[in-house]
Amino acid sequence: MKSIVKSLVLIAYLDLSLAAGAQQDQPMIGQMAPSFTLKAVDGKTYSSDQLRGKYVVIHFAATWCPFCNAEAPYLQELYKSYRDKGVEVFIVDVKEDKALVEKSFARFNFSFPVLLDEDGSISTKYAPEGVQPDLARHEVPLASNLIIDKEGKIRFYSLLNTISFDAKLTKLKEKLDSLLNSK
Amino acid sequence: MIRGIGILTVFLLAGKQPASPDVLKITIPEIVVVAGESSVIKMEVEIKKGYHIQANKVNDDLLIPTTLEIAKDEGITTGRQEFPPAKKFKLEGSDNLLDVYDGNFEIRIPFKTTKKISKGQHILDAKLHYQACDHRTCLFPKTIGFSITVKVA
Repeated sequence: MKSIVKSLVLIAYLDLSLAAGAQQDQPMIGQMAPSFTLKAVDGKTYSSDQLRGKYVVIHFAATWCPFCNAEAPYLQELYKSYRDKGVEVFIVDVKEDKALVEKSFARFNFSFPVLLDEDGSISTKYAPEGVQPDLARHEVPLASNLIIDKEGKIRFYSLLNTISFDAKLTKLKEKLDSLLNSK
Repeated sequence: MIRGIGILTVFLLAGKQPASPDVLKITIPEIVVVAGESSVIKMEVEIKKGYHIQANKVNDDLLIPTTLEIAKDEGITTGRQEFPPAKKFKLEGSDNLLDVYDGNFEIRIPFKTTKKISKGQHILDAKLHYQACDHRTCLFPKTIGFSITVKVA
């Protein structure tokens, strides 16, 4: 009887350890990034297919999102520092209309495109399965950052429920440097 | 003159938004008032542990403040809503401080009734708009509808 109880305790412990480990890992790493074709605030249309051969940083945002707005100046800085190294940066704004996004983000003077995922369908595609099941799927990637490599694979995904918020993008830049230096 | 305040009554809350965790509960004591007199609706709000919502006055105009909307009623006029003072919340990993509410707080809504108001129950339709976050994740803005019952004796 004692051994059965011990086994059950051990199994429960292992389950918790595995769950905790899974929470710390970045999701979708090595997977092909879901494709997208989206209109931007600048009126142009951007497609993921056109970005092959480049490193791409994507930040999922909404104008009212405090995390996103705290990060915004650092994202612009990152773009200025890395654009000459062949890195593209995009914000994907989730479920807001162009007029609001254009007006609200004007203060940040982004010199990279802000894409409009007005129905949340692209954000939904980037929601990892099983993560935050109590949220609507388009809500899950909000305030996250990704790096997509030249082949279109996800190499970095700072989903907020798995990794502490990093407004200054320190971890993302470390990963980006590592990818750029290894080419 | 207020005749009395009844037992706590919970009115809940049919959100039509996509499935997000319910982070907020509203409780309103039933209010009994005499026609022609004034009183105060004391709306008790309970925020789920670990979450906060933006305050009524935010320090960044991009944020969504918590606001309360009460439909007009012929015999009841509501006055200026009184929200509690905000608390400061530091965003993890940044230097930003936000004005927020968490835990339990009260919104007070003074009102007066007309002398001609009919006796019995008057239902005021209300909506609370808010945007909630925990220390690492933000939820989409939400509007919840509920009812405030005023009994005219």
